[in-house]
Amino acid sequence: MAAIFAFAESRDGALRKVALETVTAARRAADATGGGEVHAMVLGGPGIADAAEALGRAGADVVFTVEDAALARYSPEVAAATAAAAIADGDYRAAFFPASAEGRDLAPRVAAALDRSLLADVTEFTFEGDDVVASHPAYAGKAVATLRLSGAPALLSVRPGAVTAVEAPRTPRVEARPPALAPAEARVVVTGLVARGAARLDLAEAPVVVAGGRGLRAAEHFGLVEALADAIGDAAVGATRAVTDDGWRDPADQIGQTGRVVSPDLYIAVGISGAIQHLAGMRSSRVIVAINRDKDAPIFKVADYGIVGDLFDVVPRLTEEIRKLRAG
Amino acid sequence: MSFVPARHQPPLPLERLIRSEPPDAEALEMDVLFVGAGPAGLAGAIELARLVAADREQGGGLGEVSIGVLEKAGALGEHSLSGAVVNPRVFRELFPDVPEDQLPFRQRVDREAVYYLTAWRAWRLPTPPTMGNHGNWAASLCEVVRWMGERAEAMGVNLFPGFPADALLVDGQTVRGVRTTPVGLTRDGGTGSDFLPTTDLTARVTVLTEGVRGTLGQAWRAWQGVGSPNPQIFALGVKEVWEVPRPLDRVVHTLGWPLPRDVFGGTWLYPMGPSQVSLGLVAGLDYRPAGLDVHRLMQRMKQHPLFREVLEGGTLVEWGAKSIPEGGYYSLPDRLSGDGLLLAGDTAGFVDVPSLKGIHYAMQSGVLAARAIFDALKAGDCSAGRLAAYDRAVRASWIVDDLRRTRNMRLAFKDGFVRGGIKAGLMTLTGGAVPGGRIPMHEDAEAARVPDGAEPFTPDNVLTFSKLDANYKSGNATRDTIPSHLIVGEDVPAEVAAFYARLCPAGVYEQTPEGTLRVNPPNCVDCKATDVLGPRWTPREGGSGPQYRVM
Amino acid sequence: MKIAVCIKRVPDTEMRFTIAADGKSVDPTGLKYEMSTFDEYAVEVALRLNEQHGPGDVTVVGLGPDGVGEILRKALSMGVDRGVHLTAPEVPFDGRVVAGALAEALTGQGYDLILFGRNATDTGAGVVGAMTAGRLGLPCVTAVSHLEIANGRGTARRELEGATETVEFPLPAVLTIDEGIARGRIPSLKGIMAAKKKPIDTREASLGAPAIVVDRLAPPPDRPPGRIVGEGPDAVPELVALLRDEAKVL
Repeated sequence: MAAIFAFAESRDGALRKVALETVTAARRAADATGGGEVHAMVLGGPGIADAAEALGRAGADVVFTVEDAALARYSPEVAAATAAAAIADGDYRAAFFPASAEGRDLAPRVAAALDRSLLADVTEFTFEGDDVVASHPAYAGKAVATLRLSGAPALLSVRPGAVTAVEAPRTPRVEARPPALAPAEARVVVTGLVARGAARLDLAEAPVVVAGGRGLRAAEHFGLVEALADAIGDAAVGATRAVTDDGWRDPADQIGQTGRVVSPDLYIAVGISGAIQHLAGMRSSRVIVAINRDKDAPIFKVADYGIVGDLFDVVPRLTEEIRKLRAG
Repeated sequence: MSFVPARHQPPLPLERLIRSEPPDAEALEMDVLFVGAGPAGLAGAIELARLVAADREQGGGLGEVSIGVLEKAGALGEHSLSGAVVNPRVFRELFPDVPEDQLPFRQRVDREAVYYLTAWRAWRLPTPPTMGNHGNWAASLCEVVRWMGERAEAMGVNLFPGFPADALLVDGQTVRGVRTTPVGLTRDGGTGSDFLPTTDLTARVTVLTEGVRGTLGQAWRAWQGVGSPNPQIFALGVKEVWEVPRPLDRVVHTLGWPLPRDVFGGTWLYPMGPSQVSLGLVAGLDYRPAGLDVHRLMQRMKQHPLFREVLEGGTLVEWGAKSIPEGGYYSLPDRLSGDGLLLAGDTAGFVDVPSLKGIHYAMQSGVLAARAIFDALKAGDCSAGRLAAYDRAVRASWIVDDLRRTRNMRLAFKDGFVRGGIKAGLMTLTGGAVPGGRIPMHEDAEAARVPDGAEPFTPDNVLTFSKLDANYKSGNATRDTIPSHLIVGEDVPAEVAAFYARLCPAGVYEQTPEGTLRVNPPNCVDCKATDVLGPRWTPREGGSGPQYRVM
Repeated sequence: MKIAVCIKRVPDTEMRFTIAADGKSVDPTGLKYEMSTFDEYAVEVALRLNEQHGPGDVTVVGLGPDGVGEILRKALSMGVDRGVHLTAPEVPFDGRVVAGALAEALTGQGYDLILFGRNATDTGAGVVGAMTAGRLGLPCVTAVSHLEIANGRGTARRELEGATETVEFPLPAVLTIDEGIARGRIPSLKGIMAAKKKPIDTREASLGAPAIVVDRLAPPPDRPPGRIVGEGPDAVPELVALLRDEAKVL
C-alpha cells in the first residue's frame, strides 16, 4: 500500500504549527486512499528527533528524523535533496509540504529534483483514482482554480491555515536518516535568522489580525490599533497599501494583492475603505469586522460585522470591552 | 439666493501652461507632435504618416518625419469616452483596405427609436431627421482608439501613453513643443522614490488634440487672444456599460424625464453586441437648478421601465463621465492655427449636437491638420501664415457645412425645452435658415444657479450606485498620495460647495457637515465639468484618472 | 553582469474579472495585460545591479502569445538591453512545463544571474523560478527582499513568518524577487524611443506535456451577508457579544 509523505517544518529546534497541519493533511490523504501510512520527515539540529512524538500525535506512522548540527537552520539544498531522496526511495501516493515561506521555497526544489509537477498553495484536495484534484486560489483571490494532477507521487503544498491540525495519535516508528547532501556541500547557506518585531505575532500566523488604513489619518494613531491588538493578545498588526506607501508602517505589514495574503480567524479592519487590492489580501479571513465612518465603504460588503462610526471613538471602546472580557 | 459660478472660478494658470523658455538640452526632438491620442490625434498621425510614406515612395524628398502622439492615460483609449454611434466615413478613407465590418465597431445600427419620457411612460416620437443613424455603427471609443493606435504604431508613429503635456514651450509667438508632467511627486510637491522628472519635446508643429476642454488649448487661445462668436458651451455626460442577459435590438434616445424641464439634455441606450449595452445621460451645463446631479439623474433614469427592462439581471461593467462641447458653429475658435500650432477635434469644438456626433468630425479635422502640416513641412515653413491653410480647409469642409446647418439648434434651447423644440423643428425644415442670425450665448459659468433641495437617493447596489462605487467601475486607481491637480477658489461659500459636490460625478468634491468644501483629487476622472463651472483642472502625473476599457 | 529576467504577461484583474464561458479560463473581453508585479521588481533589480556594478547586459525572457511582445518592450523601455520571446498559444498552468521551456532557452548563455518574480500575480503558484534553477543545476534563493552582490557571491534576505533570514550563495544563481527590494521604474520617453531599436528574439517555446490541467475556474464561495451591528461606540458591546457567542472568535 502506497504511503503519504509529509514534510514537517521546524524552526529553532521546534515544530511549527504548519508542520502539524501538513501531517493532518497527509493523514487525511492516507485515509482517503485506503488507509496507508503517513511518513513525516523533520530536519533540524540535535534534539529535533524529540518532535517525533508530536508528529505521531498528529497522525504520522513513521517519522524520519534528520539531525545534524548544520541543520539547526534551514538548509534549502540539503532539505530538498533529503526529502526528494526519501520520496524517490519510497512508494508514495503523494507528498505534502506547507505553503509557508520555507515550504514555498522547498517544495518546488523537491519537485524539480524529482522532475514532478507541483500543486502549489492548495486549500482543498481530493483523490480521484490516479488524479489529485485540488483547489488553489488564483487571480489575487478573485477565483478558485480547480486543478487536476495525474500520476504518483503527487506533490502538493498546502496553504497555512487551510487544514486545521487535529490529533490522530499513534506511536510512530522513528527512523534517523542522514542528510542526502552533506550540509558542507550546500551552495546556498542560511547564515542568519532574526526574529522581526518579536513582541508581535506574524501576520501569516496570527489567529487575529488588526489592520489599519488611511482612516487613522496619521502614523501616530496606529497606537489605537496596537492597543486593540494587545488587548486581544494573539493578534498581529497589518496595514493597507496606502498606509505603507505613506511610510506610516513597514511595507512588510502591508496586506493586499501586492503584499501579504492572510486568512486569520478574525480580521478587524480599522479605518479601511476596502480597496479591492486590499480585499484580495484578506477576504478569505474567517470572520471580518469593519469599523469605518463611511457606511458605503466597500469594506462593509465583505465584513461579517460592521460598526459605522468614528474609529477614534469606537476602537478605544472596543479595546476596553475586550480587556474586560479577557479579565473576566 | 442665486449665485453665478464664474464669480468663484479661479483663473487659468497661464504662467504655468505657457512657458516662454527654451526646451532643455535633453529634449526629445520630433517633427510633429499630437497632444492627445483620441480620434483626432490618431487620425491626424495616421494620415500624416501615410502622406510621408507616399512622398518617400514617390521620391518627394521630404525624408524621415518623426511623429509623436502624447497621451495622458496610462494606456491608449483609457480616457476615451463617447456614446457612441459612429459615422464611418473617415474610417473608409483612412483605412480603405479594411472592410467596414472589420472596423473596430460593435454592431451596425439597424433600428432606432426616440422616446419622450415621463416618470412611468415612454412616448415614441418620430425620429428627427438629424438623428437618423442608418449606416452608422455602435462602438466603444476605447476600442476604436486602441485599434487606431495599433495602426498608427504599425505605420511608425511614436505613441507615448502615460505622458500628459503640462505646458506649451513657446518662443515669441511660436509654439516650440511641450513639457510633460513629472511623475512621482509627493502630496506636498516633493520628489518621492519613483520620481521621473519632466521631459521636453520639441516639434515643428504641435497639434492640440486634447479632447474636450483641453487645458493647453484654452491656454493657447487665452494667450493668443483667439475668441469665437459665442463662447463654447458644454454638457456633462455620464455613461455606463452593462452586461445584459438579452441583446438590445435598437438604438434608443430619450428626451424629457428625468431631466427637469428647463435643462437641455437627453439619454441614450445603445446595443454593444450580443451581451452588452451602453447607456448614458447628458445635461447642458447651463442648467439653473444648483442641486442638479447628473450621476444621480443617470441612476434615476435606470429605474424607468424602458431601461430597467433591458438592464434587469445584468451587471454594471464600467462607468465613466465626460463633458461635451455643444456650442457648435458659433463657438468655433476664430483661428485654429498659429505659429507651430493647430487645434483639432473636441479641443476645437467639432461636435454636432443635433446628430449627437463628434468622432468623425474629430477624425476629419485631424486628417485636414495632417494635410496642412505635410504641405508646411514640404515648404519648410510652419508659420501661422502657412498653417492657416488648415483653417481654410476646415471652413471649406463638410465639418463646418454640417455645423453651420444646425448652428442655432442647441442654442435655441437656452430658454427651455418646449420653445427650443419648436424652434429646432423650424430650423430643421429650413436647413438652419430660420430663425437665422446668431443666438448669442453666455459662458456656462455665467449662468446663475438657483439653490434647490435634492431628492434623497439611496443606491441599491444592483441597479443604482453611489458615486464612489461608480468611480471604482471607471478603473480609477490614481495614486492616493498625488499632489492635487485641481485649483479651487478661496473661501468657497456653502451653496457653491454643495453645487460642486453635485456637479462632479466622480465624488471629487464633497461638502462637509460644516458646509465647507472637501476635495478628493484622486477620484477625478478628467470629465472637465468643474473646469467649466468651477475649480480648474490641470494636467497631473501620467496614468492617473480612469482606466476605461469599453467606454 | 550578464543577467536574464523571466517575466510573465498577466491580466490586470483588479477592475474586471469574468470567467469565460468554458468555465476554466478568464474572459479576455476588455482585459488589459501587464507585466506581473514581482517580475517588474526583478527587472528593476537587474537594472540597478548593473548600474552599481558597471556595464552589463540584461535580457528579458517572456513566454506566451503575441501580447508578450508588449511587456518585453516595456522592459526594454525601462532599460533592459534585449528580449527573448518564447512563443506559445498560452502559458500552461503547470510550472514544471514552463520551467522546462525557460531552462532550455537560458542554458549555456553564461548568465551570472537569472531573476524571476516571487510568483506571477495570476496563477500565484511561485514554482517556476526554483524549478528552472533545478533544471539548470544552479543555486537558487527564493523571495529575496534585499540583495548584495560582491566578488562573485551574493547575500540575500528573505522574509519569513515573523523572522528575516540571511542567505549566502555563489554566482551564477537563480533568484526570485519579493517586494520591498525595488519597485519598477517608469520608462522615460527616451527609454521608450530607445526600446524601439532593441532586439527581440522570437522563437517557439518547447513546452512538454503538462501533468496539471485546469478543471474549473470559479468565483470564490460567497460569504454569508454581513451586517452592520450599529453606529458609534454604543454598538461595541453587542459586537463583542457577537464575536464571542455567535462567531466564537474571542
